[in-house]
Amino acid sequence: MALRTLKLEIFRYNPNVSGDKPQMQEYILEEEPDMTLFMALTRLREEQDPSLIFDFSCRAAVCGSCAMLINGRPKLACKTMTKDLRKKITLMPLPVFKLIGDLSVDTGSWFRAMNKRLEAWVHTNKEFDPDAQEGRMDNDLALRIYESERCIECGCCVAGCGTAILREEFISSAGLNRLARFFIDPRDERSPDQYFEVIGNEYGTFGCVGLMACDDLCPMEIPLQQQLAFVRRKMLVAGLTGSGR
Amino acid sequence: MLQRILTHSNKTDLVIDLAELISGFLLVGFLWVHMFFVASVLVGPQAFNQVPKFLEAYYLAQIGIPAVIVLILAHMVLAGRRIPNRLQEMKMIWKHSRLLMHYDTWTWVFQVITGVAIGILAAAHIWTVVSRWTINMSISAERVTQSPYFIFYIILLICGEYHVGIGLYRIGVKWGWFKRQKLSKVLDVITLAIIAMGIVSLFVIKSHAGVTGGGGQ
Ligand code: SF4
Ligand code: SF4
Ligand code: FES
Repeated sequence: MALRTLKLEIFRYNPNVSGDKPQMQEYILEEEPDMTLFMALTRLREEQDPSLIFDFSCRAAVCGSCAMLINGRPKLACKTMTKDLRKKITLMPLPVFKLIGDLSVDTGSWFRAMNKRLEAWVHTNKEFDPDAQEGRMDNDLALRIYESERCIECGCCVAGCGTAILREEFISSAGLNRLARFFIDPRDERSPDQYFEVIGNEYGTFGCVGLMACDDLCPMEIPLQQQLAFVRRKMLVAGLTGSGR
Repeated sequence: MLQRILTHSNKTDLVIDLAELISGFLLVGFLWVHMFFVASVLVGPQAFNQVPKFLEAYYLAQIGIPAVIVLILAHMVLAGRRIPNRLQEMKMIWKHSRLLMHYDTWTWVFQVITGVAIGILAAAHIWTVVSRWTINMSISAERVTQSPYFIFYIILLICGEYHVGIGLYRIGVKWGWFKRQKLSKVLDVITLAIIAMGIVSLFVIKSHAGVTGGGGQ
């Protein structure tokens, strides 16, 4: 495909500069072969506007820091090729998360709070014995756990979720997916009742209205629909049979 | 915070979610059966006239209609809790949908809109039928020949079936093991088939207007 002249409309606003107002700013850039949005943004910052704020780290869809709204949809900028987009590209920061400036948001605090709320670590009373052999795990189960673990905490699913946008406390599919991982892990000794207490409510599993944006948008292609449905069914059973209130 | 801790109960959230699901399912069942009763006109006016007799004989009219009204009201309250009620929230969802241009998010917006529309249109529909109870060919034909009514019925039919189709899809993906794309295709076909059946039935009913010997009297 012939290289084009790209027109990028980028959201500009720095909440730390008093008097700054949110606005869209236009940049013109010559496309290069195999150009990703990461390359495009870096060129802009180096050659046209050093004040442009955005995040990158791994450039290979591993760290999850470069998610932004690309033509309205949450995507990883480093994984998005300009040749797959139309000539005019709009870039905005992810909603829901705290804005740091321009395209950069603080997903870290959100995910940290989510992990704390779910107590996303293995709960066990077993004494750790460094000399003992590691416990064995069935390969299928290990793969199932790994499936949820592939989440890179980019926040695309959260930003695409209508419920998360309306309800700040909604744990979102990233949270429910994380929980599913501990639910099936035999090393975690929490009872279904204990899980139900944390997410068996409107802020957790029953808050989801099934918009499936998360399922369509996750750049790691984690099967979020199945994960959400799995957690929902488990929580139904826990709620009906358990002693939680 | 204090009030929230004291009043909040996860069990309640679960029960409400289930109640929404069950009321939805029952209404789907009702609507489909209802459309098959209407479609009895395709068999012939005699079959159509048989329906109210059948309904009354088994007390489906006397108990069924109030029960459906209660169900609809319950479903409106239960499902309605999801509707953004503050203007700002509505604007947020609208803006979000416009930005995202995501198919399933749009269908949710339309599900809300058709839900509200059904609430209003179904009330009018139930009122016109019940206020002059008994159903037969001539009354129905007379009703649908008044042209605004004809369009009214088509709009109600499309809203109802769309709402049901998307609702079932959403239940399926929220709870289920189904592949989304497959489920949505199956439901699209069912929805279109029932809409088509309904519209054809309406035309047939209309064609019986003024025709004597329809068994209406
Ligand atoms: S299915 Fe929809 S409502 Fe549920 S978490 Fe995903 S995007 Fe949000
Ligand atoms: S589940 Fe997918 S979209 Fe959501 S944060 Fe993890 S990797 Fe990103
Ligand atoms: S820069 Fe790490 S995911 Fe894009």
